[in-house]
Amino acid sequence: MNTNATELQKNAIHSYLTFKLGEELFAVNVSNVLNILELTRITKVPQAPPYMKGVINLRGNVLPLIDTRVKFGMTATEYTNNTCILVLEIHLEKENIKVGALVDSVQEVIELQTEVIMPPPNIGSRYKSSYIDGMAKVSDGFIMILNVEDIFSGEDVINLQDVTDQMRQSIQ
Amino acid sequence: MDKLTAKFIEEATEHIQSIEQNMLLLENDPENPSYIEIIFRAMHTLKGAGSMFGFENISELTHDLENIYDTIRSGKRKITRDIFDITLQSIDHIKAQLQYRNEIPEENHHSQLILQQKIREIQDQPSGEASGPLSSAAPRTRQEVSKDASTYYISFKPHINIFDNGTNPLYLVDELAGLGQSLVIPYLQQVPDLSSLDPYACYAYWEIFLATETDISTIHDVFLFVEDRCALEIHKISDSNLLNEKRFIRRIEKQGRDDHDIGINEAIIIADEFRDPVSTKVKKAMVDAAAFGSKDYSISSIRVSSDKLDQLMNLVSELVTTQARLSLYAQNDGSNELNTITETTQKLSRQLRDLTFEIALVPIDTLVTRFHRLVRDLSRELGKHVIFETMGTETELDKTIIENLTDPLMHIIRNCLDHGIESTETRLALGKPEYGKILMNAYHSSTNVHIEIIDDGAGLNLEKIRSKAIRQGMITGETVLSEKQIQELIFRPGFSTAEIVTDVSGRGVGMDVVKQKITGIRGEIAVDSEKNKGTKITLIIPLTLSIIDGLLVQVEDIRYVIPLSAIKKIYAIQHKQLGKSFNNQIMLDGNLIPYFSLRQEFECSDIDDQAIEQIILIEYENQKVGLVVDSVIGEYQAVLKPIGKHYKSQEIISAATILGDGTVSLVIDTSRIIAHFNSKFETSEVKI
Repeated sequence: MNTNATELQKNAIHSYLTFKLGEELFAVNVSNVLNILELTRITKVPQAPPYMKGVINLRGNVLPLIDTRVKFGMTATEYTNNTCILVLEIHLEKENIKVGALVDSVQEVIELQTEVIMPPPNIGSRYKSSYIDGMAKVSDGFIMILNVEDIFSGEDVINLQDVTDQMRQSIQ
Repeated sequence: MDKLTAKFIEEATEHIQSIEQNMLLLENDPENPSYIEIIFRAMHTLKGAGSMFGFENISELTHDLENIYDTIRSGKRKITRDIFDITLQSIDHIKAQLQYRNEIPEENHHSQLILQQKIREIQDQPSGEASGPLSSAAPRTRQEVSKDASTYYISFKPHINIFDNGTNPLYLVDELAGLGQSLVIPYLQQVPDLSSLDPYACYAYWEIFLATETDISTIHDVFLFVEDRCALEIHKISDSNLLNEKRFIRRIEKQGRDDHDIGINEAIIIADEFRDPVSTKVKKAMVDAAAFGSKDYSISSIRVSSDKLDQLMNLVSELVTTQARLSLYAQNDGSNELNTITETTQKLSRQLRDLTFEIALVPIDTLVTRFHRLVRDLSRELGKHVIFETMGTETELDKTIIENLTDPLMHIIRNCLDHGIESTETRLALGKPEYGKILMNAYHSSTNVHIEIIDDGAGLNLEKIRSKAIRQGMITGETVLSEKQIQELIFRPGFSTAEIVTDVSGRGVGMDVVKQKITGIRGEIAVDSEKNKGTKITLIIPLTLSIIDGLLVQVEDIRYVIPLSAIKKIYAIQHKQLGKSFNNQIMLDGNLIPYFSLRQEFECSDIDDQAIEQIILIEYENQKVGLVVDSVIGEYQAVLKPIGKHYKSQEIISAATILGDGTVSLVIDTSRIIAHFNSKFETSEVKI
């Protein structure tokens, strides 16, 4: 269940689910993904941080929903036919909890060998590089592999645009 | 085997609890033999079961202790403070052992040796009389049975596996004999050949004729721990002591010799021969009753694992949710028949819900022993004289709530002892009784349970709290606070006034942690204190955690649930009327009521001036606040679901629930809304 790239064995193959926020491509380790849901009715929770979109009914349980775009400092998600909810399992305060993440569209499950994953470069102290496990080059650009544990358990908004720009520079 | 060990630990824990409880009772009433009896019995069981499951340490320790209690029981020794202390220490030691299971750390071994040493010393002390081993015949002659005793017939057939939980049936027979005069007929004909004999099985059974003055329930009590492990028949066969009749004894012995048991019917017939003719008719009726195998008692309670209860609770919760869907469907569908059925199932599920909750209720009593013990040990340690009293401990609460209450209550009582109750000298100087008093009082109030911890100690030191709060930067020197507000500062995070960090309290996690825990179970905590009179801490706890009756309301496009218990009245009002009001107050039924527009609060768009809104009047601790909502939908049974850690900073919403159509609705926490309102009101006042 560990998504930390440094601990992955060399040459091991890992599966990742890729999704898009705007034109940017991201990936999360499939072991963190429990379900992919279509958009359903969201109940807004008043007086919550802006990236907390509300709660939804996940088969009789209440699932908190995060607007991933807002969390990453983008504009709020606009609902389309492709909008999906990823149900993720993360470790927070000694418990495994479930959280929903709104994404613009889900792409595919890909397999990446550990060696093709580039470690996250040091990108200045303003951003915790722990948010990103690594990057991988695919035919149509870069995929950013996210560390969902750190991203969705924290309370801060991450300005991912800056992070990606810096990473790209450091790689090229 | 693991499962069995777990079972043993569970049972042992119960025995330990019983010993502890009775020890404390015994302390107040050292002459009462029944407590000694229970302690002895529990120790005996512990000893047997302990060695069976490989807890040799426990078995050795209880063995030594048991010997001491045996001598006390037979009157050869008086209970002393030393015995008392050593028993409690041993109990603690055993508790620790059960926790570690088989991986017992080194220091634990060491303390075991010390304890055993101490016990031996006590044992070797002269106890007035020689404390030789108690012969099994001793209790038999203990009680002179008068002629008006009744005669009972007891058939005791242990199940073949009775040894499994460490019971020695002979001991039970022995104990029974201790109740009065007895005639015991053992039956051993079922014991097989040595080759096929299972040494762990019990083949023997007994018939006992007992003449005693005690009533039948006392006889039942003897078999309390084995009731489900034996076939037991207890019948009164005569109102006189038949065992004084030599003829009767001869008759029975003759019957018993024929390798088959006498049986109740035969016993009654024999007893009949020795009775005055008048009551024959009554006895005849008894024979009939016995023939039908009717028992004069039935199982009044059974033990169920708490996992099963949790499962039942979850199922009921799901049923209630499904019921809501059904109700919604029936309403929309409109078929008469469907509606009738739906209504019936609704009624049934409501009853089922209530019953299930009742099952999961546990009396507060289960906590009390622990507190008694705490007060006893701690007051001794601190050199203070304290009496701990309880009232209303039969009040019941959900078991999960009880579990969550233990720590906070412990902490509060500790605080009472450490900070509240003064030293004896100070108390006497103030003209107070030498013994300090801590009272725990529990009672029901609407859908809540109130638990009060009252001490007659020094009370909160307002000066000290104030200066401390200033030092901690919680308030400034200029802040004007009422007495009540100062008292409430103790619940703020990081507040602890203990000047010296003692072992007892003042470790910096004081009352704020208590408050946090209580809030975690949707409870409230309040403090009320008067200098030199004492302090009262009140906990207000909801009866259950999982399902509430609520009112479904709508604000913009979202529906909310407001707990019905807090609602007093609902008024309709035009929106523009609210606009005219001053300082968020409105006249309702001749009273000026502060109100709270949920639309405003939740940053929704403004509503049309002409629109009719509803004001829901909620009350909490004599404070009334109106909640303005768009419309009221109706009553709703809400199965509460946590909204998750991501919303932990949420102030007004306490939980969520799933509605019949599958959408999520949020449950409003009325008491917090009032608190929220108050703080808002106060800050606005300060601004003026």
